[in-house]
Amino acid sequence: MKKEKKNIENKVLLSIQNASYRYSDAENDEYALRDVSYDFEAGKIYAIQGRSGTGKTTLLSLISGLERCTEGQIIFDGKDLKNINLDYYRSHEIGIVFQSYNLLPFMTASENIILSMDASGIKVPNKKEEALRLMRSVGLKDSYADRKVLRISGGEQQRVAIARSLSYNPKMIVADEPTGNLDKQTEQDILDIFKKLAHEDGKCVIIVTHSPNVCEMVDQVYDLKKVK
Amino acid sequence: MFILKNAWISITRNKGRNILIGVIILVVACACTVTLAINNTANDLINSYESAYEKELTISFNRSNMMKDVDFSNQENRESMREKFNNISSYTVDDVKSFAESKYITSYYYTYNISLNGNNIEKAESTSSNSSQGNRPNFPGGENGMPGGSSYDFTLNGYSSIESMSEFIEGKYEMTEIAENAWDIAFTGNYVFINEELASYNNLKLNDKILLEDSDGNTYEFEIIGIYKENEESSSNPMSMFSNSANTLVTNADCLVAIANSNENIKGQIDPTFIIDDYKNADKVKEEFYSKGLNENYTVETNEEEANSGLTSIQNVKSFATTFLIISLIIGGVVLFIINMINIRERKYEIGVLRTIGISKVKLTMQFISELLIVGFAALMLGAGIGATLSKGVSNYLLSNEIASSESQDEKVRSNFGGPGGGFNPDGGAPSMNFGKRGIPTVQAYDSIDAVVSVKVIGELLGIGLTLIIISSLSAMISIQRFTPLTILKERS
Repeated sequence: MKKEKKNIENKVLLSIQNASYRYSDAENDEYALRDVSYDFEAGKIYAIQGRSGTGKTTLLSLISGLERCTEGQIIFDGKDLKNINLDYYRSHEIGIVFQSYNLLPFMTASENIILSMDASGIKVPNKKEEALRLMRSVGLKDSYADRKVLRISGGEQQRVAIARSLSYNPKMIVADEPTGNLDKQTEQDILDIFKKLAHEDGKCVIIVTHSPNVCEMVDQVYDLKKVK
Repeated sequence: MFILKNAWISITRNKGRNILIGVIILVVACACTVTLAINNTANDLINSYESAYEKELTISFNRSNMMKDVDFSNQENRESMREKFNNISSYTVDDVKSFAESKYITSYYYTYNISLNGNNIEKAESTSSNSSQGNRPNFPGGENGMPGGSSYDFTLNGYSSIESMSEFIEGKYEMTEIAENAWDIAFTGNYVFINEELASYNNLKLNDKILLEDSDGNTYEFEIIGIYKENEESSSNPMSMFSNSANTLVTNADCLVAIANSNENIKGQIDPTFIIDDYKNADKVKEEFYSKGLNENYTVETNEEEANSGLTSIQNVKSFATTFLIISLIIGGVVLFIINMINIRERKYEIGVLRTIGISKVKLTMQFISELLIVGFAALMLGAGIGATLSKGVSNYLLSNEIASSESQDEKVRSNFGGPGGGFNPDGGAPSMNFGKRGIPTVQAYDSIDAVVSVKVIGELLGIGLTLIIISSLSAMISIQRFTPLTILKERS
């Protein structure tokens, strides 16, 4: 396991400490993820790589608050995720970007972004205007705003998904194979957006990926090994 | 607020499904409105009928109880039974007044009967022999059922008030001639109404005076203030020249009590009716009667069964409406539940995405319920409007039948008393005559039914409808609690 750990405590945004995860119907010694410890700092971009079955998606679901670890703990901004409301955590602290975008198909691009703002309860004078601004920031023209998401390309949908994840200004972005369905050029564009978010906006970006190209571009790579 | 906004977006997005849900709720709402309106109307009618129908308690002799152990083939037994029968203590007017002092009794009236012979009139009979004893009631303590063991020419029925004149109210007797001031004086002295056959037989007319005498030769004078006839259908003996009541004189109870008190050989028979406040208190009143000395061979009975028999048809309508309402609700509820389950399965992905971006289970559940409530409320209101239109017609139809039936009965009673323009003036004449006291409901209050779909009905409809919607939303609530966003999104991927 390749692991670089910085000792600047005040910069660590998320700390995974001996986290393990076992499905409820699994045998006692059958773990999807076992004894993982990583730290993630603000202003940096990370990649988590590993072969299939190493628990990458499980780790991502633990980081993003979609599941709780069965052993160990995950500390976000000084608070144990076990003790905070995960709905609030997902709608305020962390933005999630999926490989399959997970946008609501019956809504337009801007409506998807505004829905996320509504869920977080963020106060914005003009939500439509803010949605347009976010779309521009990820390289989408204003004309895409009122299009149903199914009428735009995969790369554009992924940009909308990134814009949605930024809509409530979270401290951390977690992306699960965000470029898995995209061509090389689009992959590069999306990675550029993530780099900008980390290096210019000071966000912590974590990308779960198989792509060597992605691993080359990030600040740090964590390599997950299969659980024995 | 965004919950409502999302709910509205979802409603407009899924028009087909929501129209289907709306139509189902609309049909259920229509059915509910009609049935609730019918139920309320039926309740009004039942309450009206029950309030018009006095709750009566009467005392009767329990022959079957006395006779159950008697072997009539045995002469000794027969004699012993006769002696026992003769020794049963009857109750007096004073006893009746004492019984009436119960706090559960609101009013009472009675009839008092004695028998006398004619002095200046002859009894109406088809043969010269004295054989017309069939019209005389059987009294305890008298041979052949007659007080004192003798046969008399005439039976005098004395009524304590106009409410006690059941034969006239029920139409058995009907006044044919009546003195102008008859109802002013009928309950004040020795005045009688006589059968038209007796009048004809003795050539008697209004304001003539007749003399009757007891077995000791004492005479009593009565003035005729009315002539009545017995309706043919009431006459029981087809072989008799005269009707059963030909020798029955109708007068007031007070004068007969005075006559009976003046001569101990005259045995009077009192037949009281007590009006109680509630049938539920009947048993308490019975206990009071027996504790005040009523002989155990008398039974005390209510007219509850008789009163309820008049409500059978309206209660049937009410029962039908209630059953229809329950079936509509069950079918509507099941269909809505199934549609909701399908709805949730179709929208599983949406639930997963919304949960992923941090919308809580509670908010999500509220959104789904809000969607159904918005559609449901609109459908309920529309259904209430349509139902109101339908229920008005149905209820009016029921009511008009009820009014026609009651008015016809009321009119017949007035006719029996010689009215409406003749001897009896219900507005100005004395005494006051409340037909409702003898079981004829007052119907004037229900010539319109505009209030059928009232605020109460709308309130009940909303209560039932919203409960149905929330219950049928249970599938959504349970599914949302069960779904984990990651699983949903994995399935989607």
